[in-house]
Amino acid sequence: MATSPTTVMDQLLTGLHLPDGLDAFAGVIRESLAQVTNSASWTRYGRQSLEWLIGMNPVDRLFMLSALTLLLMLLLGRLRSAGVLAVLLYGAQFAALLSTDTLFGAPLAAEVRITVADQSLHWSYDALSWFFAMLTIGAGFVTAWYAAGSWMRRYREAGRSARAFHVALALNCFGMLLLIGSADLLSLFLGWELVSWASFLLMALVGGLGAQAALKYLAYAISGAMLILGAIALLYSVGGSFEYDAVVAAIRGMTDAQVWTLLLLLGGGFAVKLALLPFHLWQAAAYAEAPGAGSVFLGAISARMGLFGIIVFIVGMIGVSRLMTLEIPYTFMSSRELIAWIAALTIIVPTYTALQQHDARYLLAWHGIGQGGYMLLGLMVGDAVGSAGGLLHCFNYAITQAALLMAVFAVVHRTGTADLNQLGGLVTRMPLTFLVLLFGIISLAGLPPMAGFVSKWMVYRSLITEGMPLLFVTAVVGTLGTILSVYKLIHNIFLGQLRVEHQEVAEAPLSMLIPMLGLSALIFLAGFIPGPALSWVAQVQGQLGLPVVPWVLGGIVDPRGGLDMIWLVGILMAGFGVGALVFYGFGGRSRRVHQLDNYAGGHFLTADVHYQYSDNFYAGLMHLIGPWYRGAFRWLERSLAATLDLVSFGAEGLYRLAQPTLLMLAAAVAMLAWVL
Amino acid sequence: MTHIDQVPTPGAPLPVEIGVTPGAKRTNPFAQVFDELVRFAQSRSLFMLHYCTGCGAVELPPAMTARFDMERLGIQPMVSPRQADILLITGYVSVKTLKRVILTYEQMNSPKYVIGICSCTVNGGMYWQSYATAKKLNDYMPVDIYIAGCMPRPEAVIEGLRGLIENIRNGRADAWKDYYRRYDHYLGNQQRLFGADWQTPTDVIAEARHYDLFGPATLGAHTALLEQHQRPLEALAMRIEIPELMRRRSRADQGGTAQ
Repeated sequence: MATSPTTVMDQLLTGLHLPDGLDAFAGVIRESLAQVTNSASWTRYGRQSLEWLIGMNPVDRLFMLSALTLLLMLLLGRLRSAGVLAVLLYGAQFAALLSTDTLFGAPLAAEVRITVADQSLHWSYDALSWFFAMLTIGAGFVTAWYAAGSWMRRYREAGRSARAFHVALALNCFGMLLLIGSADLLSLFLGWELVSWASFLLMALVGGLGAQAALKYLAYAISGAMLILGAIALLYSVGGSFEYDAVVAAIRGMTDAQVWTLLLLLGGGFAVKLALLPFHLWQAAAYAEAPGAGSVFLGAISARMGLFGIIVFIVGMIGVSRLMTLEIPYTFMSSRELIAWIAALTIIVPTYTALQQHDARYLLAWHGIGQGGYMLLGLMVGDAVGSAGGLLHCFNYAITQAALLMAVFAVVHRTGTADLNQLGGLVTRMPLTFLVLLFGIISLAGLPPMAGFVSKWMVYRSLITEGMPLLFVTAVVGTLGTILSVYKLIHNIFLGQLRVEHQEVAEAPLSMLIPMLGLSALIFLAGFIPGPALSWVAQVQGQLGLPVVPWVLGGIVDPRGGLDMIWLVGILMAGFGVGALVFYGFGGRSRRVHQLDNYAGGHFLTADVHYQYSDNFYAGLMHLIGPWYRGAFRWLERSLAATLDLVSFGAEGLYRLAQPTLLMLAAAVAMLAWVL
Repeated sequence: MTHIDQVPTPGAPLPVEIGVTPGAKRTNPFAQVFDELVRFAQSRSLFMLHYCTGCGAVELPPAMTARFDMERLGIQPMVSPRQADILLITGYVSVKTLKRVILTYEQMNSPKYVIGICSCTVNGGMYWQSYATAKKLNDYMPVDIYIAGCMPRPEAVIEGLRGLIENIRNGRADAWKDYYRRYDHYLGNQQRLFGADWQTPTDVIAEARHYDLFGPATLGAHTALLEQHQRPLEALAMRIEIPELMRRRSRADQGGTAQ
């Protein structure tokens, strides 16, 4: 006898236990639910909709679930359990993504399509889309989990809308999934705008400094979108179609001057989102001032959408070999070297700006800009190992930055400040958070045995083997800045003197710790066994037409020098093991002392005197490189803004001075004349 | 045995019996070879914390730098007492400074050696009549080597350091053990100078037990006085207090007591 859905529901309901006070209420619910489930049409409808969802095209299912997340957050975002619901929904999206099988299988087009004025907008998932969608949904999942418990309770208590946060996060995910699944220029632009506005929403949630930074982002994003619109217009005028196949053919037939124009338009547009020099000024404040969990999401994945655009158009459609033929007149450089050097400067300038920050959030946000440079640099080298390193760094960086920001915001959650001059010694109070931050900074600085080492090593190696020693030096100088500033980060938060006001600080709440610890485990595993992530990257390379990296479980094999992380980590751990054996085998004992039993030139230390050295942390280094910080980019930005201000002031004066209605009429007539 | 209420007359010899018990020779021949090796290694790698209190400090830069170069003997400056082997006191020690010197000395790990440079550390030197200056350094801590002179030239400093190295090689430089064995004596002198409420963060008596140097003269009237007001500084414990888990545990505890 087949069990009918009704009896299953009855069994579930009778097995349901609720707290005492809710029994009467639960009785009512049981009765009404029983009535609902008894009606045959309802079960038929439910079964049909489930069958519809299962039988659907996998890509449509992914979009449907993402849209459902957005809808449910819009309706139920105010509930206390919305956080848990969001985690489940992002988990379902992840499962839907895995079921598309577009990474190892063939690309799959969505059946959803919109036709506007004889132009059809459609979407399709392939290996590249899968890779970026995996990062997006993964970031959404951990962010939602991080926000689900204690963090959201605090957020509500501050009088902020939980629903707005959930909706902004879901909208970001939805927009990104649409963007990375776009299969023609129009759907690309639709997704691009959606992503831009969604991230503005997430940045501006809290108001204050965050809203100011978000407005600045908006100004940048609109100009970037205009550049992309220009590029789309150019491509349409040459190829006569918005389809990607036609675009590829059009680019092949373009003259060098046209490709240059296209490169400047597309490169400029995507560079704004990726925050390449000189468009990098908006990002740090916009990401750092977003509400904690939102900052985690933005930092981990948001800027990568710019890189996605560059990969699709500049690496995929134009191609690195075409870039090499585009010489810059009167120089020895080709356009590829130009982009590579922009990437290199994007590594150095923001990384050393991060070194000067004394707010942990800003420090990490500035690093996020710098790390984008490594990805672009690897892709511009264009060989198998370099481009794989660049792509792999997207994944490694996303998990690293998410873990780091989560740790920093856990500290903010407990102490109320991210000011590096007002923290210290928290390792004894938040040891697990310390561990997460430690794993994260090792990975961010690109040191073994963590994930960041693998991808950075691949980028360095390709720079050497492909004969770009100067770029290699630049990348290493950037890494030096990273190491210096992440040391400052962990020292000023966790090491040194525990302040009196932080004596009773507790460890981060469990709801925040679980995703943090999960990500740190992932950071180590992705460093110890980079094979799985490299297999994804290899698929992406194959799909883009790049040479495919020769990967194995432990790293890469190559006659010119491979990498086996399993051996490397094994030897590293064995080294520590031998050290421990020598120390403990010879009866070595250590004794911990109180932090006030410390040497400060013989001074007798008391708890109210701060002896931790945190302000002006690298005084000696700043003495040497301090004069290099001239703030030239800020000066440029301010002068541009002032010019615009002046122009708009003049225009406004003109408008107010003359007859406003007449001007409006003239403008309308001119507009009509142009349209007709 | 000295008493706190007994104010020393300047220059009067303190009732001190310098009795360094010679280190017992180990019977195992391999152990002796090993000890020899360890002493050689120790004597050739000495980190020095120079607590520059007086004019003698000016002779240290030439002793450290190219002209006399104490690093060829394996001696180089160290920034913290935790890693240092030698504490170098380079001149007169005022009462206020002496407190800091003792704090620093107690923070050093054993084996540790003290060198007093200049006449001031030996007998007060030109500050003999000062009311605010400690006269003899070895009343307050065991001193391995004095380098007399006002000031001693770098050659003399190097000569003194060579003497210390020689003593370490021969196993004679164990004055540091005296501080643990006769802590009550040293503490008594310190208390007479600084008052009865004098204390440092270091628990010397526990360390004496740790180094197996606890003797009959370690404790006495002065340590008893110290124990009356001593507040030990326990190291900060590593605390993993995840609120959710703590709450569950405390609820389980309450349930247990209710039954």
